Amino acid sequence: MKALIRLAWEALFLREEPYTEMRETPKPALRGLGLVALVGLVVAVAGLVGTALEWATSPNLQDIQKTVLEGLQAMPWYKELQYEPEFVEGFLRSFDIGWRVFPQLFGAPDLVSGALRIILLPLSLLIIWVLYGAVAHLFARLMGGQGSLSQMLGCTALSVAPQLLNLATFLPYVGVGAVVGTWTLLCRYLALKSCHRLTWGRALAATLLPYAALALVVASFTCLGGVLAAMIFEGGAVQ
Amino acid sequence: MKELLQLAVDTALLRHEAYAQHVARPDALKRGLALLALVTLVAGLVPFLISFVGDIRPVDIEDQRREANQAIQELLTTFDSMRQFIDLPPGIERQIVANMEAGIDMGLRIEALPTALPKPLGRVLQDLGQWLSLPFGRVAGWIGYAIWVLLAAKLLGGRATASEMLGATALYATPHVLGILGFVPCLGGLLGLAATLWGIAIYVKAVAVSHRLSIGRAIVATILPGLLLGALLLMGGLTTLILALLGASS
Repeated sequence: MKALIRLAWEALFLREEPYTEMRETPKPALRGLGLVALVGLVVAVAGLVGTALEWATSPNLQDIQKTVLEGLQAMPWYKELQYEPEFVEGFLRSFDIGWRVFPQLFGAPDLVSGALRIILLPLSLLIIWVLYGAVAHLFARLMGGQGSLSQMLGCTALSVAPQLLNLATFLPYVGVGAVVGTWTLLCRYLALKSCHRLTWGRALAATLLPYAALALVVASFTCLGGVLAAMIFEGGAVQ
Repeated sequence: MKELLQLAVDTALLRHEAYAQHVARPDALKRGLALLALVTLVAGLVPFLISFVGDIRPVDIEDQRREANQAIQELLTTFDSMRQFIDLPPGIERQIVANMEAGIDMGLRIEALPTALPKPLGRVLQDLGQWLSLPFGRVAGWIGYAIWVLLAAKLLGGRATASEMLGATALYATPHVLGILGFVPCLGGLLGLAATLWGIAIYVKAVAVSHRLSIGRAIVATILPGLLLGALLLMGGLTTLILALLGASS
């Protein structure tokens, strides 16, 4: 376990040695699997500690909801409209729906979600790792890459290293932001370059093509959904 | 730490040898990031300490209400001056003030709600969290731009690895330590401008040394992504404007 964390830590600083070590190691995919699961687990546990501290230093969400509702109802604009029954009913319904969505969107501390992340984060990282690794391997081979799928999975597992930055969320109210995504991209580029012994241009293309393929798939499904929706609604209108 | 400070001084003075030795080290990125984080934390130290001192004192709700009412009075003065130029409906100030007072009352009631841990601890943790988040924000901006510069430099014949270039360009943050005086009126702004220009000079030098490029090519690699982004934004803006005008005319 210590060796895996050391490897991820070195990979975080974009050094080529950990990627080469992973490529040459026996059963790299299995080692990669262990690394992705471990990093996901450690990061989720750290995040739960931070969330628990945020929760303990924030007022109860239901108390806030009640205070906000009473505060809004005490406002002059509400008092002017409160005698319209439709307004009151609609307002309370919208307020209730909004309260279910907005606190989550703005990062209100939620212990249940934090605890669930202990399972969901490693699982989602594993799924993304396998999907990206397989698709990028395909493109890398098309570009003349020489690595095996197992080596590829081993090397791309190291691109989970930027998730280690999320360990800072062990402290409450710390935001890591968008840096993890960009850093992951750099690690993936290095993983492909190192695993398949590609030139920088080919490695860059093989790194970005899975993203382009994903965008294409999403766009195709969106278009298809739009066409289907149009057909259904048009059919309904004709009937 | 002493070594890191020496690196900061030497690279801030644009000493070629300091850049070359830094880039050649296997831990260049680690050192560059450490310096970037340190500088950002030092620059944000004064606002953090001001908030910290303010937040460990017990909160007086009446004081807060007085401050809020003062802000409302200032807003009303602004309304008075606006009246010369805009025809505001009669009684609008009264309505706005009544709604704002109710909003302030709601905010103060939320502030008074109990928490599991003592309130000052929560406020201090919030300040600490915001302060410690500063380096992540700077790193996100720097790395987001640097990958495009890396691409531009490679296309111009650069030979640095991602680690070497990022390790070198992270040094651009050094002059931003002047941000510690950012709270001083007028001087803070001037120092911020000086730090930005100085940082760009360090960035160009770092690109030149790490990629073994001439200064001219390094300047092109540094500004090209910015120019392209600017051009794209301009094109997007112009397209939106043309479409809006066409829509209005039809």
